[in-house]
Amino acid sequence: MFSNFDFGVVFGSLPYLFGQGMVFTVTLTALAAGMGVILGTLLAMARLSGVPGLKHVAKVYVELMRSLPLVLVIFWFYFLVPYIGAYLTGASRPIQVGAFSSALITFTLFEAAYFSEIMRAGIQSIPKGQTGAAYALGMTYAQTMITVVLPQAFRNMLPLLLTQTIVLFQDTSLVYVLSLTDFLGAASKVAQRDGRLVEMYLFAAVVYFAVCFSASFLVRRLQRRVAIIR
Amino acid sequence: MTSTPMPASTAKTPVAPGSVAPMDAGLQSGPLSSPPPKLATGAPMIAIDNVSKWYGDFQVLTNCTTQVAKGEVVVVCGPSGSGKSTLIKCVNALEPIQKGQITVNDTKVVDKATDLPKLRSRVGMVFQHFELFPHLSITENLTVAQRKVLKRPAEEAKKKGLDLLARVGLSAHANKYPGQLSGGQQQRVAIARALAMNPVVMLFDEPTSALDPEMVGEVLDVMVELAKEGMTMMVVTHEMGFARKVADRVIFMDRGEIVEDARKDDFFGQPRSERAQQFLSKILQH
Repeated sequence: MFSNFDFGVVFGSLPYLFGQGMVFTVTLTALAAGMGVILGTLLAMARLSGVPGLKHVAKVYVELMRSLPLVLVIFWFYFLVPYIGAYLTGASRPIQVGAFSSALITFTLFEAAYFSEIMRAGIQSIPKGQTGAAYALGMTYAQTMITVVLPQAFRNMLPLLLTQTIVLFQDTSLVYVLSLTDFLGAASKVAQRDGRLVEMYLFAAVVYFAVCFSASFLVRRLQRRVAIIR
Repeated sequence: MTSTPMPASTAKTPVAPGSVAPMDAGLQSGPLSSPPPKLATGAPMIAIDNVSKWYGDFQVLTNCTTQVAKGEVVVVCGPSGSGKSTLIKCVNALEPIQKGQITVNDTKVVDKATDLPKLRSRVGMVFQHFELFPHLSITENLTVAQRKVLKRPAEEAKKKGLDLLARVGLSAHANKYPGQLSGGQQQRVAIARALAMNPVVMLFDEPTSALDPEMVGEVLDVMVELAKEGMTMMVVTHEMGFARKVADRVIFMDRGEIVEDARKDDFFGQPRSERAQQFLSKILQH
């Protein structure tokens, strides 16, 4: 039944698929995950702080982001960010931020909500005695978090953070709605151009599977290595 | 350097039956801290004045008043739930109080103007569950607060830390992680970590309660050494042998109140309160 298919088209387009598509996907995933973890950690700290206003703002933000479909958020930000930028800078016209920046901001803000839930669990998993000991040595809140709590929370949660990053890696394919060319987008373009839909989408699926499956496997191995001996 | 067993001469002091494990752990000679002069007079190092504390509606401390003079060793004992751990945690404001005042080395603990981190950096504290930082090596555990809080240069902090580690007989373990050490060893590191900050007073919150019996002795040895050097100490413990050996005073607490606050000999000789008598008879009879 495969006699009608021409998988040669896949090999011909490899440089384009990986040189542009995959590079874009990996760049967006890495940047959004990195910034998302930082923002997520700050959100988690805000939520766990006793400060009433701060705590609630963070909670509402996380709940809101987790209740909206990602595609919707991508659209919203793409159309909203230029206007928000104009409002903030007082410019008379919407400020063009570009599709990539818009996508990066969106994924960062969206993933931060998920990362914050992971980091919140991580921070809560650190026994209270640890913070007590840090305070007793004269450390401030910031010093306690940076030297004692967050390094341990981060290590405890690293497998979950990476698993969430794998999900993000797949989710970045949604940038097609902004006409950006990620790996799937590149495969799609080739497929349309050459009329080889089945071959290209099959190949894309195999690549996503291979990347995500091996990443998951590595995460499981890593999990055993980074565990802190107590 | 590894810990070497100490000669049996340390067991000279009479010890209440069943209260203290034999003092057998290795201690290097030399002072653990620079000894302040042993004075029982003058301004108290810790003044606890009419302190009350509530958890919601439940009162955990009721009008507690006592003092610890410079160089004095005060043992706080009492049945579990009597508030002794809570009281000692109020001294460095790890637990807030709702009424009363605590003064440490002339600094008011309950005062918005007080720089709490600075105050705490001068008050060493040792916890029941050691609370070493498991993600840091022993050396890092000993130096992290010196560098971050006291802003000591890395070299100086390391020298100080390793010096103290040698004094508690654990130099061989400098590059290990807390999880690789026994409970007794971890607690000795925790004491060294607190001492590295040059504290003016040391607080011990049941330092031997979480230890296997055979490890109690090595930790108490370090504490006895420290007491002999004139460190001001407030110690929550059930180790009555330790109290007999080095305490100047014993405070007995029950249901959040200080029931008895007496010189050691008076406390062990004839405790005035019935509750203290019952408590003593219970813990000394085995």
